[in-house]
Amino acid sequence: MLRISQVGLRGVVGRGLTPAHVLDFAAAFGTFLQPGRCVVVGRDPRASGRMLREGVVAGLMGTGHDVMDLGVVSTPVIQHAIRRVGAGGGVSIGASHNAAEWNALKFLGPEGVYLSTAEAGELLDIYHLRKFTRVDWTGVGRLREEAGGIDAYLEELAAVFDFEAVRRFRVLVDCCNGTSALILRRLNERYGFGFVLINEKLEGRAFAHEPSTTKAAVGLQLAPLMQPVRADAGFLFDVDSDRVAVATERGEAVSEEMILPMLADWLLPRGEGKIVITNLSVTGLVDEVAARHGGRVLRVPVGRQAAIDAITSHRPEQIALAGEGTGAVMMPQFRFIYDGIASMFGVLSMMAERGVGLAEIVNGYPRYSILKGLVELSTRRIPQLLSELEQSYRDGRANRVDGLRVDWPGRWFHVRVSQTEPAVRVICEQRGEAPEELFESLIGRVRSYV
Amino acid sequence: MAREHLLKIGVSGVRGVVGEFLTPQLACDFAQAFAGYVGRGRVVVGRDTRGSGPMLQHAVTCGLLAAGCSVVDVGVLPTPTIQIYVAETRARGGIALTASHNPPEYNALKLFNGEGLFFNQYEREELIDLYHQSEFRLVGNAEMGLVVRDYESGPRRHFERVLRLVNAEKVRGRRFRVGLDGVNGAGSAMSVRYLTEVLGCDLRAISVDPSQPFPREAEPKPETLGELAALVRREGCDIGFGQDPDGDRLAVCDEDGHVLDNDDVLALVVDAVLERVPGDVVVNLTTSSVLDEVAARHRRQVWRAPVGEANVVERMQAVGAAIGGEGSNGGIILPAVHYCRDSYTGMGFLLERMAVTGKTVSELVGGLPRFRRRMGKVAFEHGRLGQLMQSLEERFPGVEADRTDGLKLMWPDGWIHVRASNTEPLLRLAAEARTEERLEELYGRVVGALGG
Repeated sequence: MLRISQVGLRGVVGRGLTPAHVLDFAAAFGTFLQPGRCVVVGRDPRASGRMLREGVVAGLMGTGHDVMDLGVVSTPVIQHAIRRVGAGGGVSIGASHNAAEWNALKFLGPEGVYLSTAEAGELLDIYHLRKFTRVDWTGVGRLREEAGGIDAYLEELAAVFDFEAVRRFRVLVDCCNGTSALILRRLNERYGFGFVLINEKLEGRAFAHEPSTTKAAVGLQLAPLMQPVRADAGFLFDVDSDRVAVATERGEAVSEEMILPMLADWLLPRGEGKIVITNLSVTGLVDEVAARHGGRVLRVPVGRQAAIDAITSHRPEQIALAGEGTGAVMMPQFRFIYDGIASMFGVLSMMAERGVGLAEIVNGYPRYSILKGLVELSTRRIPQLLSELEQSYRDGRANRVDGLRVDWPGRWFHVRVSQTEPAVRVICEQRGEAPEELFESLIGRVRSYV
Repeated sequence: MAREHLLKIGVSGVRGVVGEFLTPQLACDFAQAFAGYVGRGRVVVGRDTRGSGPMLQHAVTCGLLAAGCSVVDVGVLPTPTIQIYVAETRARGGIALTASHNPPEYNALKLFNGEGLFFNQYEREELIDLYHQSEFRLVGNAEMGLVVRDYESGPRRHFERVLRLVNAEKVRGRRFRVGLDGVNGAGSAMSVRYLTEVLGCDLRAISVDPSQPFPREAEPKPETLGELAALVRREGCDIGFGQDPDGDRLAVCDEDGHVLDNDDVLALVVDAVLERVPGDVVVNLTTSSVLDEVAARHRRQVWRAPVGEANVVERMQAVGAAIGGEGSNGGIILPAVHYCRDSYTGMGFLLERMAVTGKTVSELVGGLPRFRRRMGKVAFEHGRLGQLMQSLEERFPGVEADRTDGLKLMWPDGWIHVRASNTEPLLRLAAEARTEERLEELYGRVVGALGG
């Protein structure tokens, strides 16, 4: 119902997440930031976003920060605005791929970057201490509502991507009632694109389907419509448009794991950056693709925080891209923010440059089969489970950085603790056929601990 | 130095110094308690022009939404206008973010029920209990309410009510030259519109920029209205009006630049209203005996209530009064407009009175009986209040006494009222008599008895 962590504040509104959390977290963030600098806020279309926005604005004003409110926009739009106006930071209000009753606050630093683990820890300490900066009546911040956030963001995208080259594609998009609809409509109006949108109405209470960017979600409405509308490519965005998944012109729903290897394949030959940062649960295809271009994959624990820390411990020009198996990818061109719209333009650019269809690109990669499972388990028994599994699979190469990952040539599994519930996730992949037997045996072993 | 109450959560709402004391968190919590008390539905939220107002409005809106209310944001408006808005739109209640006449570092939440009235004493106690219980019933995403803005209709609704009673045509016909000091408050824009568009006056205004801080002490009274007086003299105005930051209080300056005693302003308006509205008069215990004599001219009775707008309003409702008010703080309450202190009602009636009688303000005041008045303060130590009041009463055996709000001692030719301040360890004294000598004698005896 409520999770307060280094990623920020997340919970079910009313039952876990209360106005007190929102005001205190905003005041903690205002205390954490350099005094006197403007803070950019925006929100996704969830109905509770209205309440959270009021609390965030009040909390920031009370710590002496002026606030620029972009209204209902995607998280990347907020991140771009922070850098453009030289703001001290930003707050993105929205629960992204979670169900409608959830909401969350994501905190962004100067330049629109995510907070490092150390910074996020400091913010958390201020929140728990509740010793907030309190300005007197002469110092209370002011609110400005800014409607032009999306246009300014699109200008930055236009400077990086060749819109001319990709405008000819017929693209179908499932907006899942989220913020991508606003951006894509504006691309149609202002740049003459012909994006065909479904589930484009912003919804505060119920989304057309689960707002996650999985292969299953692509298969619900987007994939079946691809051939009837004769689309060249199909994209599904989550509510705050930082993640994306694809469907091909043949109506195939593509695994969410494919976005990162495809974009690695496109970006690695283009720049000097040769490192791909990703987590331990992501497909091995990314290693194979990186190797083709002389790149190297750096695998870190699951979660945005570990990826951010890995990025900041390198020079930006060393890195080609960073991302997850969820369809969330960060590119150096956009100073490492997860941006589904930018990822979409990457895929379209790749199609334009290669002059081939999306299905051909997707199906041109060697086949990897991944199986994922979730087992609810008392957290108390997890250490014992992991040790026993490590003993049982001693013939593989073990990695205990985040749960347990064991690698064999062309095959691996990862058992890790969920960040949102008392459960363990089991991920198992093999080049070629699915590793059914290994997966079943792992699930069985895990279940014996329930 | 006397201990100041920098935060006060009590039966009059929440009031405090913004920053360390009155925080957005506290305002948000209180709004949740308020929502729990009035129930799910529309709540009207507005504010005066204090710099801390928007912050508190966002905090209050957050709390109201979280507890299942929808919010009608009416923006910067005078408190009486907000109250009328609540009543007319049949909202569940209203919250005005204003510390009224208090200095700019203060702000407060004024709370209204669905009729746009202050809660009665028992309701206020229940509300405070809910706040202290801190177990707010919150709604989830599916039941989250809306925020609707209406910055337009508030002034119109208010003017329409006043114009049911004030003959605007008569006022317009005279094209009075009027001075106005709006203290850059919530009434700034609305008062300009009222005096020019509605009442057709030739307006000379100062301090009517709501984006600027208060240029003077916020309470409108003779000591703070020097600039208005100078404006009236310089421009040759027929009358000058001074407002407080939330537009409920009114002070008046005559054509010579002399700022009237607020009791006399109330008396002039009461005289004008009783000409046409039948009913008695309610004032507080500290209000001048001028009111009794003016009411007597109309064969009407004056009832007295403890100090405080809510107390006066309660008594007015009980006796079905035609008009009421509190002299010392410039409050005029006309139920036919709304049960609230309203500077617009006062301005309208005074201008109409001038138009009808053809008299100047000083001539109108000259027609009022004359009393001598004196106000003062005496500090006391915490814990000694009860003893002080008791000994005071014992010093004056046989004198008629009223104990409903502090102690009021009444002689046939004068009175003195002693009451403790709500916010500081101070006794407030008000005395009145027919002559200066008698006034000084009474005042001196009481101050002596208090050891001051």
